Amino acid sequence: MSLLKSVTQCLLCVCLITYAVAVSAQSEVYKLGGTDAGALQSLSDKHENVFKQTIAALPDEHKKDLLQLYKARWDNARQKFEKKEIYTAPAPSAYLSELIKEIVSNNPVLSRLPLSCYYSRSGNPNASYIGEGIILINMGLFTRLENESQVAFVICHEIAHQYLKHSEKTIADYVARINSKEVQEELKTIKNSKYRRSQPLEELTNSLTFDTRRHVRQNEAEADSLAVEFLKHTRFDPAEVIATLKILDKIDSDTISTNECLKKLFNSERYPFQQKWISKEEGLLGGHAKLQSDEFEDSLKTHPDCKLRISKLEPVINKLNGGSKNVIDAGRFRHYTQLFRYEVVEYAYSAGNYGRSLYYTLELLQRMPSDPYLIANIGRVLNGIFYAQKDHHLNNHVDLPAPAYPSHYNEILQFIQNLYLENIASINFHFLERYQDKLKEYPPFMEAYRTSIQIAEK
Amino acid sequence: MFKRLLPVLLIVCSCVTGHSQGKLSIENVHAAYLRNSGTIMENNQIKGYFFLYQSDKIDRQTNEYTLQILDQNINKVIDIKFEDSKQLSLLEAAYNNSSLAFLFKNNDNKTLDLKIYSIDGKLKYTYSRGFDIRTDELMKRYQTLHTDEGTNQNIFDLGERGYASGYPVRDGKQVSYEVDFYSSQTRKMWTYVPVEDEEKYANAEYLGSTDSLIILQVLKKNRKLSKKVAPQIVAINFVTRKKAFEIDGENDEYILLPSSVINLREQGKILLMGNYYDKGDKVLNDYSQGIASYEINSKGVVLSKKYNSWTGDFASYLPTNQKGKIESIGYLYIHKLIQSNGKLFVVGEGYKRQASAGGIALTALGMLAGANTSAGVTKIVVTDLVMMEFSSEYKITNATIYNKTNNTALGGPASDYGSQHMLAAYLKSTGSFDYEFTTGDADNSNFTVCYSDFVRNAEYKGQTFNSIRYNGEKFVTDKIELKSKASRMIVLPAKTGSVMIVEYFKKTKKLELRIEKLG
Repeated sequence: MSLLKSVTQCLLCVCLITYAVAVSAQSEVYKLGGTDAGALQSLSDKHENVFKQTIAALPDEHKKDLLQLYKARWDNARQKFEKKEIYTAPAPSAYLSELIKEIVSNNPVLSRLPLSCYYSRSGNPNASYIGEGIILINMGLFTRLENESQVAFVICHEIAHQYLKHSEKTIADYVARINSKEVQEELKTIKNSKYRRSQPLEELTNSLTFDTRRHVRQNEAEADSLAVEFLKHTRFDPAEVIATLKILDKIDSDTISTNECLKKLFNSERYPFQQKWISKEEGLLGGHAKLQSDEFEDSLKTHPDCKLRISKLEPVINKLNGGSKNVIDAGRFRHYTQLFRYEVVEYAYSAGNYGRSLYYTLELLQRMPSDPYLIANIGRVLNGIFYAQKDHHLNNHVDLPAPAYPSHYNEILQFIQNLYLENIASINFHFLERYQDKLKEYPPFMEAYRTSIQIAEK
Repeated sequence: MFKRLLPVLLIVCSCVTGHSQGKLSIENVHAAYLRNSGTIMENNQIKGYFFLYQSDKIDRQTNEYTLQILDQNINKVIDIKFEDSKQLSLLEAAYNNSSLAFLFKNNDNKTLDLKIYSIDGKLKYTYSRGFDIRTDELMKRYQTLHTDEGTNQNIFDLGERGYASGYPVRDGKQVSYEVDFYSSQTRKMWTYVPVEDEEKYANAEYLGSTDSLIILQVLKKNRKLSKKVAPQIVAINFVTRKKAFEIDGENDEYILLPSSVINLREQGKILLMGNYYDKGDKVLNDYSQGIASYEINSKGVVLSKKYNSWTGDFASYLPTNQKGKIESIGYLYIHKLIQSNGKLFVVGEGYKRQASAGGIALTALGMLAGANTSAGVTKIVVTDLVMMEFSSEYKITNATIYNKTNNTALGGPASDYGSQHMLAAYLKSTGSFDYEFTTGDADNSNFTVCYSDFVRNAEYKGQTFNSIRYNGEKFVTDKIELKSKASRMIVLPAKTGSVMIVEYFKKTKKLELRIEKLG
């Protein structure tokens, strides 16, 4: 009750929407980091049994190779339970089940499919079928979608992968190919040749990779088509398929001007913002390394271009009857979309990824400039960065700037790289000091603030 | 820089996984061997790293190599593939903002090949010069495991114009030096040969460069074993290809033996700093009087001279005697000059001769047994690090001693002989000092001096990596304990405020690189 009171006091001057979200985010409806260890273990055990059944049924031919790949697939899935990436809060999970039920109940072919769909707390805007009947929809994608029909299309796409056994077929094709007489003879020839091995080996690797990726791209096109088939039997609106693909097409584009946000956020009267904190390193080639793109690289893309996907699906979609954008509960959809933005921030922090957590916080702060949780999170993230740098483990918590990252994320990484310990301590202390009167009864804030004082005093 | 980072490593390509017993996979067919690695510098700042792999065998005499270039954040920038002699090694790399230069040693052709690549990885120019008995000394330098500052030894970028390389040459009994200039703009290479030098023995050390000058410290003598050395500052204009000036200090009150040079921020001024000696002293043997600073302009005119004596100026901050020896620290070797916020900081490290208990015991046992040999009754230890602060008028204003373990740098009979300067030169050339390198912002408003140490105490016994960082107001220290699960762990220079930690895991033949910010 005191928390509710303090948050209410702090947000008096904030608009009603901000108030509602922040309160609900911190109080009775939703608990951040709400993952139940017991539930996760039980789910993990359930899927491990599926894994054991799967490998027991593997054919004898090339069994060792197949086993190795299936094991790697399960290891990846198991880690998501172990690292609490899978989200188990009952109410949002029940909502997801209702969405699934609408799809499955209207598509009898899916009735016997062992299907388990979960939210992943990852901020990466993605969804995936990861084997053993597990479909994940990342909160980073969920929060970018606009209605339930778009979520339903994403789920249908992943169900299609599972239904069509794409993952299993890709593994089988790959193992068959590397064990084929043709590839084995080629490898033998290369091994027996004393000289000039690298070029034929590179060609063979490229050919294997190209084939695998080509199959994966074909799989994506097939999954799109089947997803539309599944969706058209439901009450969801098929027209939202195109809208979803258009969102995916721009999913990596900049949403905020990071440097401008940093300047605004960390400028205080007693510790003014310094331009050098955001100056870009002048490295080789005049800055960050650039990714080299060539024809071969383009041909290795696992997903077909969204525009191409739209052009293939549009004629089919146009012939279909419309549906409802929201079928289950538009209010809950909006509510969870909002809450998951916080969960992404929380998960990144609890997984020790301070760079990501800071970035997601900054992004969300543009919508909720006075949100107590976000302000407190900046405090604890900067405290975490301070201690990680002091102990020489920052590398485990913050990525280095890289050409593969979008520029707005690179800007925050560069900012962290540019700061010395005393900068981090002072920036954080002066930032939190601004809110101490407003948030003095919000415990997470006070914890971060007290730590920042201890650090600054040192 | 060239640093023989680790033993030759086997790097396995992991493009394809999964193989059964008796069957082939790409993993067990392909292997690449890491031959050399090092940093790519520009203006004394780390801009990236190079890794040279032997990626294939072309024929009995030829290998295929892959030169992998990483940026300062260890992102892959480019892979350059080329074929060359089996007997190839990469000695050094440099970068000048528009090109990359790599100095290769080709043992088949007996050539040193400087290859200049454009930033998109295309070979622009190859410059070759033979190496033979004349350049033997240069080859010996490359054989030492440690390099000055952990950075470049002989190849230096001269801005957009290209690169320079200075090296010793021997012609019969005459020992001299030459300086090569390699253009990165057009195919042009020329060599500066000091024809007018009369002395038989001249040794040159690269001190630094400006936008048009290469500045060398030249030590001359007329006999190999002569202790009378004439130190000179020689500046070569690489635009006009002529000697711009030389400063011999013949008419000076003291003799300056500069060990460092920096371009002052004021246009055209250069600061030389080093030990100074009384006129008539033998600089290789006599004790220095203190540290002198000469400000000169681009024409070689000495604009100001400032002297800080051990017994007078330094005594206020450090316990020194008239021999320049600091109590408990020994003699001071100057590693680095850093101009920051209108002040000048000088990094020195102590070294001294100490009785060697083991050496004395062995010598005594030898004498009892009637042997005529000595195991060396003294040893040379490197002692503490000293950070000195000078005013804008080059007068010492502060000095702080950073304690570290007295680590043995040289033992055996050789340590019983030699002057303090010869010992210092030897310690430096063999990498026996604990000082590692200095990195900093472009304007040095923040800079970090790094050194290694060996710690023995109740909590920890082993190698440590230490830093002293100036944050514009004060110095803060940091320490990394270098014990890890890796078979070998080393720390290399990195971008400002960071170091690169390299860990090699022998069992899995895995090499891990990470950039870690200093605390």
